[in-house]
Amino acid sequence: MDAILNAVPCGFLSFAADGTIVRANARLAAMVEREQDSLVGLSIEKLLTTGARVFYQTHFFPLLRIAGAVEEIYLTLQTAGGREVPVLVNAERRERDGADVYDCVVFSVRQRGEFEDQLLKAKRAAEDAARTRDDFLAVVSHELRTPLNAILGWAQILRLDADPDTIEQGIDVIERNAKAQARLIEDLIDVSRIVSGKLRLEVQTVDPRTVIKETLDVIRFAAEAKSICIQTVLDPDAGPVSGDPNRLQQVLWNLLSNAVKFTPKGGFVRLRLQRVNSQIEILVTDSGQGIDPQLLPYVFERFRQGTDSHRHGGLGLGMAITKEIVQLHGGSIRAHSDGQGKGATFIVTLPVLPVHASGGSDASSDVHVEWDTPRDRLPRLEGIHVLLVDDAPDVRDVLNATFLRSGARVTTAASAAEAFDRLQELRPTVLVSDIEMPDEDGLSLMRRIRTLSAESGRATPAVALTANGRAMDRKRALSAGFQVHLTKPIDPDELVMVVANLCEQVAG
Amino acid sequence: MVFAHGFGCDQNMWRYITPAFEADYRIVLFDYVGSGGSDLRAYSDNRYGSLDGYAEDLLDVCQALDLREVVVVGHSVSSIIAMLAAIREPQRFSQLILVGPSPRYVDDPPGYRGGFVRSDIEGLLEMMDKNYMGWASFLAPNVMKNPDRPELSEELEQSFCSTDPRVARQFAKVTFLSDNREDLASVTTPSLILQCSDDMIAPLEVGDYMHQHLKGSTLRVMKATGHCPHMSHPEETIELMRDYLAACE
Repeated sequence: MDAILNAVPCGFLSFAADGTIVRANARLAAMVEREQDSLVGLSIEKLLTTGARVFYQTHFFPLLRIAGAVEEIYLTLQTAGGREVPVLVNAERRERDGADVYDCVVFSVRQRGEFEDQLLKAKRAAEDAARTRDDFLAVVSHELRTPLNAILGWAQILRLDADPDTIEQGIDVIERNAKAQARLIEDLIDVSRIVSGKLRLEVQTVDPRTVIKETLDVIRFAAEAKSICIQTVLDPDAGPVSGDPNRLQQVLWNLLSNAVKFTPKGGFVRLRLQRVNSQIEILVTDSGQGIDPQLLPYVFERFRQGTDSHRHGGLGLGMAITKEIVQLHGGSIRAHSDGQGKGATFIVTLPVLPVHASGGSDASSDVHVEWDTPRDRLPRLEGIHVLLVDDAPDVRDVLNATFLRSGARVTTAASAAEAFDRLQELRPTVLVSDIEMPDEDGLSLMRRIRTLSAESGRATPAVALTANGRAMDRKRALSAGFQVHLTKPIDPDELVMVVANLCEQVAG
Repeated sequence: MVFAHGFGCDQNMWRYITPAFEADYRIVLFDYVGSGGSDLRAYSDNRYGSLDGYAEDLLDVCQALDLREVVVVGHSVSSIIAMLAAIREPQRFSQLILVGPSPRYVDDPPGYRGGFVRSDIEGLLEMMDKNYMGWASFLAPNVMKNPDRPELSEELEQSFCSTDPRVARQFAKVTFLSDNREDLASVTTPSLILQCSDDMIAPLEVGDYMHQHLKGSTLRVMKATGHCPHMSHPEETIELMRDYLAACE
C-alpha cells in the first residue's frame, strides 16, 4: 500500500480530526521539502502559510467536517525553507480503526496559479475599466446637456422676444453653445476612432510655424478675454515635418486652449518652437494651477480626468486624443509640472522631414480655409448659380440662406433625381450636394452627372457634404467626381469660401 | 439557546452540539445576512461594514422570536458579535458562551499580541479570492455531478455556494481588521470563554486577555486544538458548556 501511495504522481496525506498528520507519501514530503517520516505527528497547519491556515480553520475544515468531502480547494503550502507552493486539494472523510481520518490528494498548481493570478488581475482591470467608462458616460451626458440647455432656453426666449438686441445676444449664445457641443462630439468621434484603430492622417509636408500661427489666430480671442498674454518664440530652422496639418492644429489647439483654460486672469502662456537635432520641439508653458505630481501619469489617459477638472468643463479627452495624434506622427508628448500652483509645460516632439525627401504623398485637393475669417472679408458669390441638393429641409434652408446672403442665386432640390433634372435644365455654376440621401445617394448622382455630355453639364464643379469625416468617405466622394468634400456640421463661412475658390479655379 | 456561526460557515457548523441541549432548551439557529441560506438582497455594504450590523442581525432574531433569558453561543467572530448585542440589550441575555473569541486579531505592539500581522490578512483574502472564484464558476457544477452522494452536494451548496464572494470578502475584512478591546469592559452579562490549547486564530494569550478584561467571565482551556472545537471535539465542548450552565443555576 505504501509503495503504491509513494508511486502516485501527486501528494497524498491523511490527518486526524485535530489536524495531526497520520500519513504522508514521498511526493508530498518532497513538495514541502521535509523528510517523509518527520511529517507524521506534525499538525497540518505547520505545512500551510498563515493565510492558508486561517482559510483552513474558517472554511476548509468546517466544510470537510460537515460535508464529508471537499474538492478543488486552493491552498498555499509552506516548505520547510519558507517557500510557498500553491496547491489544489481534494479531501474526504473515512473511518479507520474507529476514528475519523481525512484523506487528501494534493496537486501542485504553480503554473495554473500564475495563470489564475493573471486572470484575476485582468478581471479586476476590466471591472475598473467598466467603472471608469460608466463614470465617463455620466460626464458625457452632463457635458452634452449643458450647451443643449442653453440652446433650448434661448430658442424659447427668441420665440417670445423680438427685441433686436436680445435676438443678437441669443443667436450668439446659441452659436457658441452649438460650436462647443460640436467640438465635444468631434472629440468623442476621435476617441472612438482611436479605440477602433481607425484614426488616419492625411499626410503632407507641413511647416510647423504655419500651423502654430493659424492656431494662435483661433485661440487669441479666448486668451484676450482673460487678459492672458501669449508669448511665442519660433525658431526659423524648425521644420518642415511630415504630417496632417488639420490634426497638428488640433494638437496645438488642445495644448493652447488647455493652457488658457487653466491659467488665471492676467497670467501668461508661452509657446516655443525649437529644433533639437533631427527633431522639432513645441513647448507650451502656462502660469496656471499646475498638475499634482500624483496625477501627472494619468494626464494622457482616456476617460480619466484630474479630480477637479470638472469645474472647468469638458470631457478630459483632449489630452488623450492629442497624445494619440502625436504618436501617429512618429512623435511623443510629455508633461512636466513642479506641482500645484507652479504651472505646467507640455512638450511635443516631432521628427523633422529630411530635406531631400519627397513632399506629401497626398495630391491634396483640399481647399485651404481659415476658420475664423471675419464676415466682412468673406468673398461674394455674385453671378454664381448654386444647385443645392439635400433631403433634409432644415439643412436646405440654412444653406440656402447662407448662399443668398453672399449674393449667389440658388436652386434647391430635395432628391438626387430632382437634382439630375434641374442640373441639365438650368446648368448651374456649381453643385453642392448631400451624400447620404434616401433612394439615390449623392455619390450615384455625381457618377451619373459625370457621364452626361459636356453641354448637359458634365463638368459642373461639385462640393460633397457628408456626416462622415473619415478619410475613406472623402476618397469615395472625390473618386465619384466631387472636387471638394466637407464634413457636417457645415460652417457657413467655410462653405462660401470653398464655393468661391472652386468657381475661381474653374474660371481660371 | 441561540447559536451564532462564525466567519466562513453557516448554522450547519453547530450540528454536533445542538442535539445535546434540545431537551432542556429551545434551540435557535440562524445564518447572518450574506452567509448560508440568507437572502442576499437584504445585504447592504453600509450595515455590514462593521460588526455592529451583524449584532443587529442577532438582536433582530431575538426580537422576532421574542426571546428572553437567552444563552448565546458564538463561535470566533460571533463571540464578539454576541458581546456587542449583549451591550445593547443586556436584559435579554443571561449567559454568553464564547468559543475561540478574540477582540483583535492583528498585533498591536508593544502591549498586545493578536497573532496576526496585516499582511497575513491579505494572504487570507487571496485564498478566498481563489476559492470563491472557483465556487462561483466551476465547483458547484462539479459537486452536482456527484450522483452517488446527493446529500453531500446539497449540503455543500448550502454551506458555501450561496455565499457571495464580495460579501465574504467584506466579512473577512470586518472580522479580521476589527478592534473590540474597548468594548470588553461594557459587557455585564456573565460569560464562558472556551479557549483551545493550540489555536492559531485565537492564541492562549488572547484568551487570557479576554478573561482579564471581561467582567464575570469564566475561562476554560480545552484539550481540543484548532479553532473549531465544536466540530473537532464536540464531546469536550458539550461537557464544558453543561458544567458552566449548571454552575450558573
